[in-house]
Amino acid sequence: MAATVVLTGAVLATAGCTSSTEEPADRSSATAAPALSDQQAPPARVVIDVTIKDGQATPVNQQVQAAVKQPVIIRVTSDAEDELHVHASPEHTFAVKPESLQSFQFAVEVPGKVDVELHDLNRVVATITVQ
Amino acid sequence: MTTTAVLAHGLGGSADLPIPFTYAVVGAAWTLTFTFAVVALAWRKPRFDPDIPGRPLPVWVTTVVDAPVTRWLIGAAGLAFTAWVAVAAVTGPQDSRNALPGVFYVLLWVGLVALSLFLGPVWRVISPVRTVLRLVRVTRDGVTFPRRYPRRLGYWPAAAGLFAFVWLELASPDPGSLTAVKIWLLIYLAVTLAGALLSGPRWCSHADPFEVYSMIASRCAPWRRNTDGRIAIANPFNRLLSLPVRPGTVTVLAVLLGSTAFDSFSAMPVWRNFVDTHTSGTWDASAVKTAGLLLFVVTVAVTFSLAAAATGGVDREGRRALPGLMAHSLIPIVIGYVFAHYLTYLVEKGQQTVHALMGSHDAEVYYLLSMHPSVLASLKVGFVLLGHVAGVIAAHDRALRVLPKGHQMTGQLAMMLVMVGYTFTGLYLLFGG
Repeated sequence: MAATVVLTGAVLATAGCTSSTEEPADRSSATAAPALSDQQAPPARVVIDVTIKDGQATPVNQQVQAAVKQPVIIRVTSDAEDELHVHASPEHTFAVKPESLQSFQFAVEVPGKVDVELHDLNRVVATITVQ
Repeated sequence: MTTTAVLAHGLGGSADLPIPFTYAVVGAAWTLTFTFAVVALAWRKPRFDPDIPGRPLPVWVTTVVDAPVTRWLIGAAGLAFTAWVAVAAVTGPQDSRNALPGVFYVLLWVGLVALSLFLGPVWRVISPVRTVLRLVRVTRDGVTFPRRYPRRLGYWPAAAGLFAFVWLELASPDPGSLTAVKIWLLIYLAVTLAGALLSGPRWCSHADPFEVYSMIASRCAPWRRNTDGRIAIANPFNRLLSLPVRPGTVTVLAVLLGSTAFDSFSAMPVWRNFVDTHTSGTWDASAVKTAGLLLFVVTVAVTFSLAAAATGGVDREGRRALPGLMAHSLIPIVIGYVFAHYLTYLVEKGQQTVHALMGSHDAEVYYLLSMHPSVLASLKVGFVLLGHVAGVIAAHDRALRVLPKGHQMTGQLAMMLVMVGYTFTGLYLLFGG
């Protein structure tokens, strides 16, 4: 019962995040991959962790490699609201809430260097080199 | 959301991949080989001369290009496009989907260079301020301009304008802010219009940053006008020499080259960490970035001027004139570097901008270059190399003409070293550090 609740919560959370990316393809992949269980995560996924505490984000300016269309997951633990911008083509925007371990998933379709930025803090969390 | 995201270049989307290490090494090797070959083996007598006429095109080409109808039509089109952009900027969505930043940072800044490179100094024909000025002169016969443009100002106002542009793009607190772009453009229009009404068309040709940039890029165009005014196909190396040497010429080129280099530099994690750890607010960060941008521009201006003047056998006066006399050799380097940096922007963000202007935000963008990273990397190294080779050749030929006999070999060594330095730095920055 508890597991179902958690799972539904996770699905809702991911669906809520991806709804702003306006791509149905994204949404299906987000629901297919339960984002919170990283133990069983296949190595094919790229995970970026970031913590926001007292107006500081750590770590910042991470350098990450990913392949085209490879799922990228950003796990945020935050004590404040913020907005996560993924400067890919097309762009993704996720709302960060004051919660621990929220996950946002996306995949980049076009090769290039993609900045993941916390909008309110004005910090670049990571630059993903997508090849 | 009232403000847009803080974006590199004020535009969203991803940036180019770094060029692979092997490409950088191949580029560096060719740079050295070409430079040594040019200095050691190339011609011993100057070949290029701005007075060599080009091969004239049929008369009707000149007639059509110079016809008042053509000029008025293109001018009116420029004015209409400006109005369209203004309407789209004000009535469009006030967020990152707005067309204005794309028009400003892509079509104007990069598109103008491409257009001028292929067609000649187009800004003087399409500039909305020029068209307004022409209208004023037509409607009020015998209009006089109250003040002559001061000769010693030279290109300094244009250099300041170009710096203001790159500052907004690379060092201001929020390059993507619609308000900031609007304010910038309003100030530009006000200053250029006031100057044009005060000093006439000379203000446009000397002080309008875009007209000066367009003129500089057009020195590499394959066209020129012969002395009789006919449009001709010409060797760009002859045409490069027709760059007017005025106060501020070297500074304008230093702003263009230094800012492009700073653009890649500021994407490096080392720099970003430095800015993040040493600043707390956005204006703090902007101040540090401004200092960095200035440092790049000053470094280019100083190294180039010193290298141009580093020769024996000239008096004080002659030495002071040398940087200006060599300045045209920087143009190919600037253009090559601009294309290496901003070609994807022009092709891909350009499509988005055109779609945004049409109001069709969902239209598909073809990521022609990004989808083929190795083609893109080859193109980038190719542009940098081509610019370098052309710059070295132009500098060598000019050195033979302006350096005193007996110092022509040693006198150009410093310049060659500096140019190799620019190219290596460029490749290093494109390689991603």
